[in-house]
Amino acid sequence: MVEVADSLSMRIGETSLRSSFDNHPLGIFIVDNEGRIKYLNDEASRIIGLDSAKESIGHLIYDVDAVMNCGLDRAFQTVLGGRTYHLNEHRCSNCRGHYAVLNIFCSPYRNESNEISGILGILQDVTDSFKRKSELEEAIYELSVMGQVSEALSSAVAHDEILQMILTAVTASQGLGFNRAFLFLLDQKEGRLKGETAVGPGSPQEAGEIWNRLASQQKTLIELLNDYRERENNSNNTIGSLISGWEITLNDTCAFSRAVNEGIGINVFAGPTIDPGTEAILQRLKTQNLAVAPIISNGRRLGLIAADNQITGKVIRDADVKLLQTFANHTAVAIERSQLHDDLVEYAACLEEKNRQIAESQDQMIRIEKMSVIGELTSSIAHELRNPLTVIGGFANLMLTSEGHDGNSEYLNIILSEAKRAEQVLNQVLDFSRASRTKTRAIDFNQLTTQTYELFLARLKHNIKPPQLQIAGSNLEVWGNPDQLQHALFQYMNLTVEELTGECKVSFSTSKDNGLVRFAISFQGSDAVLAKVKKTLQQIFGSSTGTQKLSIIVAGETIKYHGGGFGLAGDSNKRPEIYIELPEYRGENNA
Amino acid sequence: MPDILIVDDENHVRKLYSAFLSREGYHIDTVAGGEEALALMKQKKFDLIVLDIELEDISGLDLLKQIRAEHPDVFIVLNSAYSVYMSDFHTWLADGYIVKSSDIKPLKDKIESLLVTHEEK
Repeated sequence: MVEVADSLSMRIGETSLRSSFDNHPLGIFIVDNEGRIKYLNDEASRIIGLDSAKESIGHLIYDVDAVMNCGLDRAFQTVLGGRTYHLNEHRCSNCRGHYAVLNIFCSPYRNESNEISGILGILQDVTDSFKRKSELEEAIYELSVMGQVSEALSSAVAHDEILQMILTAVTASQGLGFNRAFLFLLDQKEGRLKGETAVGPGSPQEAGEIWNRLASQQKTLIELLNDYRERENNSNNTIGSLISGWEITLNDTCAFSRAVNEGIGINVFAGPTIDPGTEAILQRLKTQNLAVAPIISNGRRLGLIAADNQITGKVIRDADVKLLQTFANHTAVAIERSQLHDDLVEYAACLEEKNRQIAESQDQMIRIEKMSVIGELTSSIAHELRNPLTVIGGFANLMLTSEGHDGNSEYLNIILSEAKRAEQVLNQVLDFSRASRTKTRAIDFNQLTTQTYELFLARLKHNIKPPQLQIAGSNLEVWGNPDQLQHALFQYMNLTVEELTGECKVSFSTSKDNGLVRFAISFQGSDAVLAKVKKTLQQIFGSSTGTQKLSIIVAGETIKYHGGGFGLAGDSNKRPEIYIELPEYRGENNA
Repeated sequence: MPDILIVDDENHVRKLYSAFLSREGYHIDTVAGGEEALALMKQKKFDLIVLDIELEDISGLDLLKQIRAEHPDVFIVLNSAYSVYMSDFHTWLADGYIVKSSDIKPLKDKIESLLVTHEEK
């Protein structure tokens, strides 16, 4: 422009040369010291908005309003003072009210005596390039925002964290710059949008405090988003309460339903033509203008983001809605990724639990297999022993009932009684080994206990008060060999009668606690009686002699091989209690 | 005097039952195996057989079937160290099942009840 002005200054006096600038792409005009137009080419006429360039010659340029609007009055004062004037990308409107962006250059126009005799002005219309430049800058800004949000979200996997970051990005001035943002997630089963979370000031005062603080921090968007993670709970109850518990059905015709169903962003304005559903939304959010963008990933509707400028009152442009929609598309991926991550974590935990259960089941299977082998072995040993015992006891019996044994009757009786005792041991071992042959399966522990209890009662002597059985209300299942477990339960029940008859009140119970199925034998009575019971039980569990002890050993081994435990509970302040605990079986998932 | 045959592979068991039941007034023969028992039964008629199940040459239950087929009228009392065979359907062919014990009275009572019932008929 400067070169053009120099050229013009030199040749302006020549009429032929003037005419050569009539069609110049730059707008060129010359006025005298008084502001009377001496020359104006077609482009200058167009830019200023005049009807004709030629008809303007001789008119005072100060009378043309558009010139004033263009800020040329300031330029003229500068130039008549002997200096040049240069103004770039000046936004104005011409005589016809058309918006224009101009580069303005004015310089003094001197006569042959080198005196300033007027002003040479050059106008360049850069409206289109300025618009493209602005659009480009806006696109770069949007890309920058998306890039930063993407970076922040890429390292976030927690669902709530992602949701809060999304809304922070929507409301941050370094982000989309809305005042408030609301997130609704779609309940896929019910087909309803549910208010999830919200970010933004609850009042103008709060807005002022927050925005001033954020402005003073001068953080980038990514710094702001990462800061969010370090804060454990920054949820704003005031704004959050606006949407808490709010559900909107997608069958409605409101803007939210349309946005999600049609997959489009909507710029909602309050007005007389608005539908009742949308009006209710604006009223609830106490706003007049709302940007709405659905969150959709691979055609799957996930929810919706709504944002407004309720505090500043700034009108939301369609471009803002478009940007919000782009952002919502981006967040859809993050939300889906978060959901996949959650599913994966849950699946991994489930898999880990399954592996643990499989290992436990395998271990238990091995134990039960071992038990079965031991059962077979004890069975064959017991049978081999039965024949010699029969012979020993039988002959002792025969001798006792024969004549001529008077001197040896005491010894024969001892042989006979010991043979009978040994046979009792054999019977117990055989009971156990017979149980070992039964295959393992899921067992209703309450039912098994009840059946054993009935068997126990049937064998109970009439002069003994039967213990009470209290069965747990809930279903109790264990896995194992029902005959073995019944044998073990019977031995424990029998123990109370054999060792503690008449001593105290005895009760049996089943229960479940912390993954263990429990059978307990508890005792009630005076302190002295309970102390005696405890002493007896301690002898039974600690002694290594006696047939009763053997039965408890076998029963105890059975419980252990089923992955359980047994023992005597109760310290000095508690009533003694014998317990059996077995792992709870939880159906197919257990194995 | 009823004739009883004891079939048991254990020598001492045979001796015990023989001594005990002889004293009760029965005439006792003893054999150790199944083939021997079948051979003897062809030569002599017995009123009752005391039959062990776990024999060395044949299963007592198979022998039970054969005896029942050839001598349907003879009483048979199974006498075993194993109680587990009680649940075997084949043992129903026998007239009694006594688990071996140092107390011989249950066996004696069973034999007595079977033979008395027979005499009454």
